[in-house]
Amino acid sequence: MRPPVRRLGAARALLLALALGALPAGAAGPGPLPVRLEARAGRLEAALDLSAVVAPGLEKQLGNGLTNVIALYVTVAPAGGGDVVALQGRVIEILFDVWEESYAVTVGDARAPQEIRRSFPDFRALRAFLADQEGIDLGPLAQLPVGPLVVEARVEVNPVSREQLQRTREYIANPVGGRPGGGGARSVLGAVASFLLREPDPGSDVHLLRSRPFERAEVTAR
Amino acid sequence: MSGRPAGAPRPRGRLPRFLAALRVSAFERNIALALVVAAVLPSAGALWLAGQLADVSVALDPRVVDRLEAMPALYGDLFQARKQLYAEQARAIARGLPRTAEAGPAYLDDALARTPRLRRLTWADRTGAVVAEREAQGPGPDGEWREAPAVVSLPGGGRLEAVFAIEARYFAELNETRELAELVQGLDALRAEIRRSYLRAYAGLLVVWVLLTATLGIALARRTTRRVSDLVLAVQRLAAGDLSVQVDPGRARDEVAGLARAFNAMVREVRESRDRIVYLEKISGWQEVARRLAHEIKNPLTPMKLAFQQLEARWKTAPERDPEFGRLLADVGEIVREEIGTLQRLVDEFSGFAKLPEVRPEPADLVDFVEEFVRTSPQLAEEADLDVAREGGPSPVALDRALMRRVLANLCANAVEAARPARARIHLGVARGPTRALLTVADEGPGVERGLRDRIFDPYFTTKGTGTGLGLAIVKKIVLQHGGEIQAGEREGGGAAFTVSLPVRDAGPGAPDPSPTAGPEGGYNPAP
Repeated sequence: MRPPVRRLGAARALLLALALGALPAGAAGPGPLPVRLEARAGRLEAALDLSAVVAPGLEKQLGNGLTNVIALYVTVAPAGGGDVVALQGRVIEILFDVWEESYAVTVGDARAPQEIRRSFPDFRALRAFLADQEGIDLGPLAQLPVGPLVVEARVEVNPVSREQLQRTREYIANPVGGRPGGGGARSVLGAVASFLLREPDPGSDVHLLRSRPFERAEVTAR
Repeated sequence: MSGRPAGAPRPRGRLPRFLAALRVSAFERNIALALVVAAVLPSAGALWLAGQLADVSVALDPRVVDRLEAMPALYGDLFQARKQLYAEQARAIARGLPRTAEAGPAYLDDALARTPRLRRLTWADRTGAVVAEREAQGPGPDGEWREAPAVVSLPGGGRLEAVFAIEARYFAELNETRELAELVQGLDALRAEIRRSYLRAYAGLLVVWVLLTATLGIALARRTTRRVSDLVLAVQRLAAGDLSVQVDPGRARDEVAGLARAFNAMVREVRESRDRIVYLEKISGWQEVARRLAHEIKNPLTPMKLAFQQLEARWKTAPERDPEFGRLLADVGEIVREEIGTLQRLVDEFSGFAKLPEVRPEPADLVDFVEEFVRTSPQLAEEADLDVAREGGPSPVALDRALMRRVLANLCANAVEAARPARARIHLGVARGPTRALLTVADEGPGVERGLRDRIFDPYFTTKGTGTGLGLAIVKKIVLQHGGEIQAGEREGGGAAFTVSLPVRDAGPGAPDPSPTAGPEGGYNPAP
């Protein structure tokens, strides 16, 4: 099955552009993004070098025994600005097993909706895997517009997940969990607060990277 | 109090009426503003306090977060210690392995027996073939457990694998701790959003609350402000000269209703004063006319009478007298004397009307006055049956006895005239109201037509064949000069009823105003 790459409508592209532009206050512009682009079966595949993001200092955080999440959004857009022409996303969950002393990694993206599980014996191997994100399907090469394009990557470390958000909303809507004697007023306030709790702040651990411009013709077949 | 002064124009159509109801006066706007400010200021303070409270209640202790996040690492340290312990124990067992394979099982059994949590030992040679393998026969550690292998390479080749038991609950606890730490971590990440959503929810509920409070307050305030606005409108109409304006005080018993009642009383007083002045001015004019007429008529009467007397005297002394002329002269003389007498009486009435004396009131009790009038009017008793009824206590008034007696006499004379040829029945009544004393003169005659009740007090207006039409005008003037009112009405059971209201002498200035238009207030009602 071909990976479902979404061609974006103008509205969705605008939203994404806004999301990509929602950098933390005071953040500088996008960092450089080394990228290898290849054509595979007529589709554009990217391999990103995220070593600038996956710094050695992450070892303490990724090895803390808690589930850490790295969300990666990759887009292709005209270098001079304009609507995004391709989008791909990937979510990587990392859990350091303190008994086995190894990193269990789960990767989910449009190509692998059932998720792929891998294990790395140490942080070095894990970092190598994270820094080299391969096989990112960016859709049919032929549909890319003519002209200079750039690949942009947005990397969020431990963003608030929708599941976490939903659990939190349910909790504040009914903190007593239906126990007898729960206060009605608190539930009303919590229900309204839950309703108003929508999109969370992406947080400060967000990185935006941008590749050098490239032309469609530069992409070589594999 | 109704929504508008009595007589004010009412908007036609539903939409204009609806828009008129929505119109807000400056007073209402100020009241509403005060209510909104009173509702918003505490709410703003409450919102600020809620923000402070949210900071306290939503914030997680960073030490708790840190310790929770460190828990997996602590378990990692625990596992490391266990692994090192197991490795050390495995190395100790490996160091004591016998040289011969035959002694191996016994040695392994002994090692299993003396080493806690050791469950299985496998001795393999350099080729990987198992030399000896023993497993613990006794029960394992309490609860579930999982294997923790420790492998030791032997100096001459081969290896010893020792499988220890580690409590499975450690892993369950680790998972629970990890989930809890991740939840707290997520909450900590969402803390700002949770606080913001709580504040927004609180602010939203406050806004709804303020709106409800303000709406209710405005609705309640409008019940008062609308009445004040109606009063303002009524005062404006009064200032424009409309003395018929009245404001419905409604059923409320508050100050605004009292103000409306006082306003109505004031307007009625002003209207009555104006009517009184107008009437008295009109009467004064008619009195001047009467005086001139009396003068002009009276002057030629005496010469006419003297001239005719001379004619009669000459006739009586004439030497030759025609009998026919004598009879004619006698007839004419009778006519002339009768007409001159009529003119003389007319002149007297005009003069009496023109020269009405000034009222000199003195304290009197109205009941005593009426009873005295009946007692001292024998000629009236000859012409009519009189009865006197009284209600309430004494009725102290200020009256000019002579002039008020003339009032009663005129009214009774009218009753006698109205009853002819039958004998008249006259009902006199006195009643005491809070501020007015009422004197009623009623008869059982044909009554006064409703359309004529206002005009019968005009001078020279009469419904009788004879008479000058001055009697009731004189009556009304005298009553007005006493500060009173007179109304012509209808007696229950038939007949006319004239009601004279006089101010009670000891009525204080703060006493409520009686309603002259509301009929005889607590007054005497002549029995049929």
